[in-house]
Amino acid sequence: MSIRGVELGLRGLGKAIANRTILHDINLEIKPGEFIAVIGKSGCGKTTLLRLIAGLTEPTIGQVALDDSPLAGLNPAARVMFQDARLLPWKRVWENVALGLPGLNADQALQALHQVGLADRAYDWPLGLSGGERQRLALARAIANTPSLLLLDEPFGALDALTRIEMQQLVEQLWWAQGFTAILVTHDVEEAIALADRVLLIQNQHIALNLPIHLPRSRQRGSAEFAAIKDQLLGAIFGAGYPLATRVVGA
Amino acid sequence: MALAIEQTTSATRPARRLQLRQLGQRWLPWLVPIVLIGVWQLAATLGWLSARVLPAPSTILQTTWDLLLHHNLLGDIAISTRRALVGLAIGGSLGFVFGLLNGTFPLSERLFDSSFQMIRNIPHLALLPLVILWFGIGETSRLFLVAFGVFFPLYLNTYHGVRSIDPKLREMGIVYGLSKWGLFRHIIFPGALPSILVGLRYALGVMWLTLIVAESLASNAGIGHLTMNAREFMQTDVLVMGIVIYALLGKLADTIARLIERRSLRWQVGA
Ligand SMILES: Nc1ncnc2c1ncn2[C@@H]1O[C@H](COP(=O)(O)OP(=O)(O)O)[C@@H](O)[C@H]1O
Ligand SMILES: [Mg+2]
Repeated sequence: MSIRGVELGLRGLGKAIANRTILHDINLEIKPGEFIAVIGKSGCGKTTLLRLIAGLTEPTIGQVALDDSPLAGLNPAARVMFQDARLLPWKRVWENVALGLPGLNADQALQALHQVGLADRAYDWPLGLSGGERQRLALARAIANTPSLLLLDEPFGALDALTRIEMQQLVEQLWWAQGFTAILVTHDVEEAIALADRVLLIQNQHIALNLPIHLPRSRQRGSAEFAAIKDQLLGAIFGAGYPLATRVVGA
Repeated sequence: MALAIEQTTSATRPARRLQLRQLGQRWLPWLVPIVLIGVWQLAATLGWLSARVLPAPSTILQTTWDLLLHHNLLGDIAISTRRALVGLAIGGSLGFVFGLLNGTFPLSERLFDSSFQMIRNIPHLALLPLVILWFGIGETSRLFLVAFGVFFPLYLNTYHGVRSIDPKLREMGIVYGLSKWGLFRHIIFPGALPSILVGLRYALGVMWLTLIVAESLASNAGIGHLTMNAREFMQTDVLVMGIVIYALLGKLADTIARLIERRSLRWQVGA
């Protein structure tokens, strides 16, 4: 595995929107090539954190450091994959991938499509793609330029369970092969444990839990260790009420 | 079920019936016009219709042929078409540019949009006497009116098209490193195009209508000139021909716009 991911530092990071504190005093060092998962209840500020790292919004206080130099404006290292694929319907599949490539390089776009198993659809229009294929395409677009930082904002939330597992494996493979730093926001605790080197839980505007996952890859979801980590995380989210609460929430 | 029926009847009959039905689908809309023209021709030949009121279709064709051969009818058509297109180019491009500006820049929108909305409520043909006062009876007046008329459909639809682009797509473009020009070329313009083309088709209709009115007021050449002369000399056949030519030109413009639409919006049907 070749590490050419970016090193990321979040230093005293805070964000308020309309006088309401969304995130407060976030401190975190992320190693090059590390895979981070961010979980937390809806509205806790996960997307806001990603937007800060992507440079799409300015921190109210503190800074984001890229390889130790403070980020100003848009993050040049980052590629973002959104929950909605955000494809351009008026461009063919390969052109959507080429969008972020210098000179709209077709060869490089086809190469990326090949990596996500979508090469045979290169000349189709995006409107004909299924939900899973759309996210594959969005993933191809995100990795085409071999970014050093990949930000994923609940990218598989809308997919069916089987397609989701397929996509998770694909992301893990690409991460393994390309060595970028990855930050995955998800509401799926199992997804976080299956993929991440570290799982962050955001609660009450800050990082409430920073849990390294030491399971060997690729991870068996049925294993006892896996289940123990899942219990630990859910316990942290729901507190003492947990085992009962999951039955209600997870229904 | 369908399979069973096909197997019991002979293989050729359903196919032939299908062909007949397709033929019917295609030609059926023409049936009524053809019958009407036939009745018209018959009525004129039998003398039920005075040639002063409505000459026979055959007479009109004959007149058209004569004018084509001996009176440079094509030249008049060319002049009218040129007027229409120049007016469209001026008013349309202004509408397009202002639509883009106001759709993109809040400052520009604050500055211009409400004024445009106010002026839009003036029926532009009502300006005719004023325009003649300003520019006299001449090419400038006609072009001004056409340009004025086509400005608004293109302005409104371009503006609306730009405004209706999903801001999330714009954000995606920014994250993927597109320049301002890249954003325009890959996201804003293609995203607004369906709406712009609707505006164009509407503008084409306005264009011909305005031209007809402007030309019939005063012209020294063009279809309008031809029909005005014809009215003075009570040449009903030339008058009717002029009307038909206007209709055909309008239809042609619309067909071309439709073709452009179909070609540039192929992604919508996924073909
Ligand atoms: N542009 C905005 N204007 C006002 N409130 C916002 C805006 N963006 C986010 N918020 C608020 O910030 C909080 C965190 O949002 P977000 O980061 O999207 O949460 P998450 O992704 O964890 O669901 C939410 O309460 C949301 O309403
Ligand atoms: Mg979110």
